[in-house]
Amino acid sequence: MIKLSRNRRGITPVLSSLLLTVIAVAGMSIAITATYVITDGLHESMGERLIVEDVWFTTGQVSLYLRNVGKVSIKVAAVYVNRTDQSFTSLELEQDKHGWLTVTYGWSADSAYEIKVVTRRGTNVVDYYVSPS
Amino acid sequence: MLWTITCRRLKRDRRGISNIIVIALSLVIILAIVSNIIMWNYEMNQVDWEKMKENIIITNVERVTGSQFTFENDGSLTVHLVSLWIINSTDHQRYDISVFVNSAETKNYLRDDISLPTGSYTVKVVTERGNTAVYSGS
Repeated sequence: MIKLSRNRRGITPVLSSLLLTVIAVAGMSIAITATYVITDGLHESMGERLIVEDVWFTTGQVSLYLRNVGKVSIKVAAVYVNRTDQSFTSLELEQDKHGWLTVTYGWSADSAYEIKVVTRRGTNVVDYYVSPS
Repeated sequence: MLWTITCRRLKRDRRGISNIIVIALSLVIILAIVSNIIMWNYEMNQVDWEKMKENIIITNVERVTGSQFTFENDGSLTVHLVSLWIINSTDHQRYDISVFVNSAETKNYLRDDISLPTGSYTVKVVTERGNTAVYSGS
């Protein structure tokens, strides 16, 4: 111990190697994390699948029954009726789950409506539905 | 002989080694990302392809003790039916079902607890892959 504290030759290369190792490990960790984040985000957006099982026009409302047929959970972010943003009840569906999405909308009888459901990751389902007479 | 000389030269001259290591590691990372995306894309294409190949038809709906539905699978894959809807002008009723119909098979499905509405109605079934078959009756 006394010998080590007196003889300090060779300490600098050890320290520099150590520092370089730490930098290399940190760099690799950042690279691996970035890889995981990029692929995970792509996985999620590519794995989203959503269908509308049924549409029910009731007084002042349009209810859509949605089913998640994809590989990831989904959350509805927006609903458009005739390209206009509408208010709706929040809906989050796990894989293979299903449920009602109620949209507040004053519809007219015997008219066609373009209804578009958009998820948080940007997947959208759009179709025309005719209201009852 | 040439190999030995090259090895010796490499041992002595270490300049540029770090560049090679960096390139190799970068290639590994890029390869990991690309292969991951390709694999997942392939899997999702498979899902879409299977959905496109499904073809289920409701050939008949009868009032018996309850209701009897006849499903025909005209596709090349086995179909798993998961939802049954009975729709008329006043109600949209959904039932959870689990019926497997093999390719080219016709299957009768009897439900004692479902009574068909009077007047015109629509019966709809939904498959696990997301396809729908519709039948209109009265």
